[in-house]
Amino acid sequence: MSRFNPYGDSSGGSSLAIAGADFAILAGDTRHSTGFSIDSRDQSQIADLGDGLFLTSNGFSADAKQLVDDLRTQIKWYHHNNNDHKLSISAAARTTMMLLYGKRFFPYYVNPIMIGMADDGTGAVYSFDPLGSYDREPSRAAGHASELLMPFLDNQVTFANQLDPQTGEPRKRLDLDLQTAVDLVKDAFTGAAERQVQVGDTLEIVILTKDGVDRQYYDLRRD
Amino acid sequence: MSNPSEINGGSAVAMIGKDCVAIACDLRLGLQSVTVSGDFEKIFQYGGNFVAFTGLATDVQTVSTELRQKHALYEMVEERSMEPNTAAHLVSSMLYSRRFAPWFVGPLVAGINSTTGEPYVCSFDSIGSMDVSHDFVVTGTATNQLYGMAESLYEKDMSPEQLFETISQTLLCAADRDAITGSGGLVYVIEKNGKVTKKLLKSRQD
Amino acid sequence: MQHTQEKWGRPRDDVYGPYDASYLNSEPRTQTLQPTVTGTSVIGMKFNNGVVIAADNLASYGSLRRFIDQERLIKVGSETVVGVGGDVSDLQTIEEIMEGLEISESYDEPAQSLTAPNIHSYLQRIMYKRRSKLDPLWNALVIGGFKNDEPYLAFIDLLGTTYTAPAVASGFGSYLAIPILRKLVDREGDQQNVSKEQAVDAIKEAMKVLFYRDGRALDKYSLAILSKKDGKPDVEILKDVRVENQNWSMAKQIKGFGTQDE
Repeated sequence: MSRFNPYGDSSGGSSLAIAGADFAILAGDTRHSTGFSIDSRDQSQIADLGDGLFLTSNGFSADAKQLVDDLRTQIKWYHHNNNDHKLSISAAARTTMMLLYGKRFFPYYVNPIMIGMADDGTGAVYSFDPLGSYDREPSRAAGHASELLMPFLDNQVTFANQLDPQTGEPRKRLDLDLQTAVDLVKDAFTGAAERQVQVGDTLEIVILTKDGVDRQYYDLRRD
Repeated sequence: MSNPSEINGGSAVAMIGKDCVAIACDLRLGLQSVTVSGDFEKIFQYGGNFVAFTGLATDVQTVSTELRQKHALYEMVEERSMEPNTAAHLVSSMLYSRRFAPWFVGPLVAGINSTTGEPYVCSFDSIGSMDVSHDFVVTGTATNQLYGMAESLYEKDMSPEQLFETISQTLLCAADRDAITGSGGLVYVIEKNGKVTKKLLKSRQD
Repeated sequence: MQHTQEKWGRPRDDVYGPYDASYLNSEPRTQTLQPTVTGTSVIGMKFNNGVVIAADNLASYGSLRRFIDQERLIKVGSETVVGVGGDVSDLQTIEEIMEGLEISESYDEPAQSLTAPNIHSYLQRIMYKRRSKLDPLWNALVIGGFKNDEPYLAFIDLLGTTYTAPAVASGFGSYLAIPILRKLVDREGDQQNVSKEQAVDAIKEAMKVLFYRDGRALDKYSLAILSKKDGKPDVEILKDVRVENQNWSMAKQIKGFGTQDE
């Protein structure tokens, strides 16, 4: 008798985040699929946690939902206990780690990415593995198209393998401006939607600056 | 890693430009995670045709050598040079002749047709199914990474210089996200006028 | 005196019997390792003013047509319908849970405060909790109703996976019915251009295709039509609906099995 498998292959397509000097971007497609079947073309995978924090968790979507619910509960209790003090992204990231590692022996099958503005006003991207190991990074991709997106981000966000034409030295890292970063996200996702069948329909981009939150939507291929 | 195609590692990519094509591969040869060589070239020249083989290294050497014999025989019998599409069909039928005991290779063919001047790139699976492309083809253990890079960097009608930069960045950045592809790169740019430029790329050695 | 060290400090075999180590090789206790009596697809779609859901009346025992009058649409509260596919005993458990929810919700507030998103969320948490106990409710659920006067349609499976879409279906329905329903409602918002009659026709057509090609389907089904009339929810559950205008002329063309003259 085969054992019941508590994990499934239902998931959102892919997501991606970029941190800038004064902004952070989190983007994901709105396709939800199980295997090769498209369940929904309009299922947002970006969760608004409040306190200027946004999260995507690619992987098994029932676990992803549970993780978001857990985090919302943690944040609510943090507010109750600390006179509605805003939860910083570094503390939210540690909390996420605690939740993930708390299920070390029955893990949440997800790769979460969290964005927010750090205490010093810079944009922050934190990414996690399913067991809770985490780090702050300049950019990160997760989900079905992570292998396609990640080398592109290395190349265009951190200038991997690019040389300065004048000096011939590795090109100096400079902070991207917001429009360049948004254009990169669009290029990355149109490319990924071309080759990864689980990615498509609509691209949802959340842009975080000191002035607040902006959401943008772009069409992706729908086949 | 019991998959024969992923024991030795390695990847290749080919792209079409304006009156030119480029083909590139990494230089690594490994046994699972252990790198044993950093000068294992995977691109072979057959007249004006450039063929990259990725996959199981022993099959890469066997098939590339057998193709050398078949190519030489063709040029002797036919008394003319072989066009890229002919080379592609030759590779395809060679692979299909081993339909039920395949060579574990993923070839690419790149070249320029000497009569029409049309650039030509083509990829195959291990049993010879041909995929002729109008832009680029990729193969190897970094296939996904190469697709991600190529889809976003590629533009139509690039000059030989632009094509070299694009294919190099595609290969290098893809290789850095695949543990068993890398240790340097090799790029050929083939132009319509017959000029062939071979360049070696320096890259991370880990 | 015991001379073997590993037996020291352990209960004596001659008094308590030998140690029973069988639990070490056993698996966790689970209830539904496989579904037994099952219902097949549930399908649903939105239209400009509401939602249509359908599920046939067959409960199969493997390939046996065991019960042919099984109701698989459950009305919960005053403006929500839950369609259930999969194990029928688990369906009955869900029915009881929904009854309990209705009762507890009616103590201090009127029961109509229970909306489709409430029920969707509640059921999702039950399904996820049961899968996490490795004791799943072996069902696929389609929830139809309203959210702030707008049509609401959602899906949950036995793992607690959930999503909303303008057209949803479980089982064979996801291959056979979804393409028919998506002709009318492909993406969110498309339901604005679909009338109740169009939606009902599409659902009936899909139920016909399912009856033709799903060997576990029946041509008798229930059809729930949820709409808003003057801002008030109107839930109409049609029972014993038949698949109409069946055309079996192609059956004669199929050769190779069954009774044939030649």
